[in-house]
Amino acid sequence: MDTGFTRRQIIGGSARLGLALAVGVPLLQACGDDSKSSSGKVTESIKDGLKPEAGPLRVFDYDSYINPDVISSFEDKYGVKVEVTTFTSDDEAISKLASGAVDVDLHHSAATNSLFKLVDSGLIMPLNKTYLTNIGNVAAPLRDPYYDKGGTYTVPYTIFGTGIGFRADRVDPAGVNWETLWNPAYKGSASVLDDYREGLSMAMLRKGLTDVNTTDPAVIKKAGEDLSELTNLMNIKVEIEGYHTIPEGATTVAHTWSGDMLTALQYLPEGTTSDVLGYWQPEPAVINNDCMCVMTKAKNPVLAHLFIDHLIDKDNALTNFTFVGYQPAIEGIDSQYLIDQNLVPENLRTSVMTNDQIAQGYRFLQLSTDVEALWQDAWSKFTAGG
Amino acid sequence: MANAAGAAPGGHRNAFWGFLSLPGVAWLAALFVVPFYAVAAVAFGKIDPILRTADPVWNPAQWDFSAMNRVIDRVLDPNDLGKTFLRTFAYVGGALALCCLIGYPVAYFVARHAGPKRGLFLALLVLPFWISYLMRMLAWVNLLQPDGYVNRIIGWLHLPGEHNWLNGDWPAVVLGLTYGYIPFFILPLYAALERLDKRLIEAGRDLGASPSRVFRHVTLPLSVPGLLAASVITVLPMFGDYYTNGFLTSGSPRTEMIGNQIEFYLRGTSQPQTGASLVLILSAMLLVLMAYYLVVTVRAQRAVAT
Amino acid sequence: MSRNRPGQPARGLALVTWLYVLWSLLPVLIAIRISFNSGKSRSTFQSPSWRWYFTDPLQSVWHDDSLRQPLRNSLKLAALTMLITVPIGVAMAIGLQRWRGKLSKASNGLMLFPLVTPEIVMGVALFLVFTQVYTSVPRGFTTQLLGHITFSISYVVVIVRGRLAAIGPQYEEAARDLGANRMQAMRLVLLPLLGPAIFASLMVVFAGSIDDFVISSFLSTGASSETVPMKIYSSGRATATPALNALATIMLVFTLAAVGLAALVMRRMRMRQGGGDDVQLGNMAAVG
Repeated sequence: MDTGFTRRQIIGGSARLGLALAVGVPLLQACGDDSKSSSGKVTESIKDGLKPEAGPLRVFDYDSYINPDVISSFEDKYGVKVEVTTFTSDDEAISKLASGAVDVDLHHSAATNSLFKLVDSGLIMPLNKTYLTNIGNVAAPLRDPYYDKGGTYTVPYTIFGTGIGFRADRVDPAGVNWETLWNPAYKGSASVLDDYREGLSMAMLRKGLTDVNTTDPAVIKKAGEDLSELTNLMNIKVEIEGYHTIPEGATTVAHTWSGDMLTALQYLPEGTTSDVLGYWQPEPAVINNDCMCVMTKAKNPVLAHLFIDHLIDKDNALTNFTFVGYQPAIEGIDSQYLIDQNLVPENLRTSVMTNDQIAQGYRFLQLSTDVEALWQDAWSKFTAGG
Repeated sequence: MANAAGAAPGGHRNAFWGFLSLPGVAWLAALFVVPFYAVAAVAFGKIDPILRTADPVWNPAQWDFSAMNRVIDRVLDPNDLGKTFLRTFAYVGGALALCCLIGYPVAYFVARHAGPKRGLFLALLVLPFWISYLMRMLAWVNLLQPDGYVNRIIGWLHLPGEHNWLNGDWPAVVLGLTYGYIPFFILPLYAALERLDKRLIEAGRDLGASPSRVFRHVTLPLSVPGLLAASVITVLPMFGDYYTNGFLTSGSPRTEMIGNQIEFYLRGTSQPQTGASLVLILSAMLLVLMAYYLVVTVRAQRAVAT
Repeated sequence: MSRNRPGQPARGLALVTWLYVLWSLLPVLIAIRISFNSGKSRSTFQSPSWRWYFTDPLQSVWHDDSLRQPLRNSLKLAALTMLITVPIGVAMAIGLQRWRGKLSKASNGLMLFPLVTPEIVMGVALFLVFTQVYTSVPRGFTTQLLGHITFSISYVVVIVRGRLAAIGPQYEEAARDLGANRMQAMRLVLLPLLGPAIFASLMVVFAGSIDDFVISSFLSTGASSETVPMKIYSSGRATATPALNALATIMLVFTLAAVGLAALVMRRMRMRQGGGDDVQLGNMAAVG
């Protein structure tokens, strides 16, 4: 008698299993804790006068975004260790913080347009300014920013614009603009930032559309289609590695952030001078700044505050700049100052912004869920090779 | 297995073996079955209004299929995700073809002609399993650099086509997939070929057929089940691969596979339902292959046991 | 062995096979050689040195914590996975082999499923279940460990069942006839007979866990739960130095040492029992 294990039995078994699950899983749900529910804004910070904890201080950041020397000097000053966990995009950072996939004390590079998610869900707490003795150093336009009234939750870290980084020895600096990315002469060595707001808004700006927060599905769709032209025309790469692929020569033209070309100074191979680097940014450009903020559930909140304070010390900020290349949001540190200090070569003057440029730049604002989905789907269609 | 004692199912003795299996079964139920249900619950669920992270819905009666419908529309659109699915199928198919082309002769040789050196060859075939997949890919990244040895050899041999291999072209991905997964193909195929009834092959020879005719008309048809099983076991992981092309071509839309899109939606966006829906669609597509392999394996288990 | 007419076909196939072996292993050997470079090049050989292993004060594996930590994590994970999975798997294998009835068949099917499930599906499913259902499980190492055990159980069961089928029930029955109860028969007779299979399982689980990328990556929470494959993936296309090759080589050495050790133990066991290399390798081939 054949009592074999047939397909029917597999399917039948799974159906019964499915029913069991439908009943059983809600019971399971009750077992887990409810920590992921959005509990609302946190309005109270830590108390004054607390002692720094024993550490280690866990910092959440982009890769290579703080000078190891600055980290060491902090470690020595307070006798603690600093651990850096990295992410590659702002959405990834929020997703990991929200789901509890990472457990950190300090979010070091929050984007301004998604800050509301961190605030409204109670993931970050207000800052206690008594620990921030250097708070007066913050650049004037960002002391009371539109995204964080009174600088309650955040301190700005770096300011940057979005433009085109390129090899000045292969591309004529005078003629660089968005069209350069669509120039088949550079096929195979061009890249676009792996960020859906940056990528799509760049396509919009190229066509003269300046609303980088548009809700118009037709505009978003067209931007995606324009980007899709690059797929076969340019064999475009989608990455945020321009800061080292340009000096190394693998990329000729890259959609980059302004600080990338300054970071690139450290990745120049032996025998190559900084003359080969170039940066162009439209006027006005998309301007952004990173924010430092302290997690509500931080185990080392005092250390987190002290670390922020450490970074807005003017000397530390300059030391940090020499490694990171991104302009710190410190009053008085602008292009002329940095060129005078020989920290920025003249040909990269445009990588550093003036207070006016900061004030007039286009900013990414928050989008509603539906609109965000439109942007993400348009980007997905581009990266899917569609 | 021969039930020598003739014991009927149930009863004290049987329950003992059941209890022995219990830890494993309970584990898999909790950490394999429930997670799958969680995928469905997320795919047909909602999102947290502020954080825009997943908010799963556990009761099937309340499931919301709108995200899944949108995804299905995009999958059927040949200019959108449809292209990605087709490309994934093409890459997997190409890699499988290469695996067959390279792997069959190797498996056949080791199974039937290796003689006293068979142990050595088997060890060499098993060796890649002990080398980390990513280390093997890293090795290729080293070789395929613009100033790496592949380009050097091409230049030295004066062949045309010094190339930027890591630039985002499909050959790098197909070759990468082949290199990475071919050990999974060769070993099961070897095992199947090794078990072929040699008397049938010798009979063919004794009847006067030439070696190539014997191969075409006896050996090859007999090895088809083995080929199928090896193909399925190789192809299933390939479909979900996202790291091979991510590693070899660093973000080129022209080589994007389904795995990359799944990763994008689940890690970097506010639409986990889309990512979970894609996972369900991928699983549904592979279900036929998975079921085939399961049935074959169970039959083999019973055959070995008797 | 078949009575083959030696000659052209066999030699042609031998050539193909040797070429395949070269193609399969040479790139890795080159990568290992590159790890001994004295300079930063990752594409060409430079004069040999231990620089990236321990002499470079900042970037060698010995000194760079961002490289040492993944190594520690990978080894810890693999060792714990091995120690927990094998007992569960062996018990399940013995149980499934002898259990009768519909429940047994369903459990067998359940056990086989992870073998055919693509890793990304498992990774996503585990990620979602730990973030949405089992939220009190500490994320990071613990969830990675649970994930690794989950996909490893099936390997153990398949390997051990293969051996069980070959052994048959007669030894235990003989022991029972001599007065032992079921537990004693299992412990004193069956388990020693299963020795080679158990060691083969330990090897396979260890190697599988060390090599895992997708599950570890989805369940990781950051630097403290990064594994070596994850490190290779994130650094491989960026500005890595040959230190990355050194890290990969060190992992390889650990894996081969573990495999070699287990193989030695297995050979000792088998010399006392009698059985061929082919049986074990065939088992592993059947698993894969």
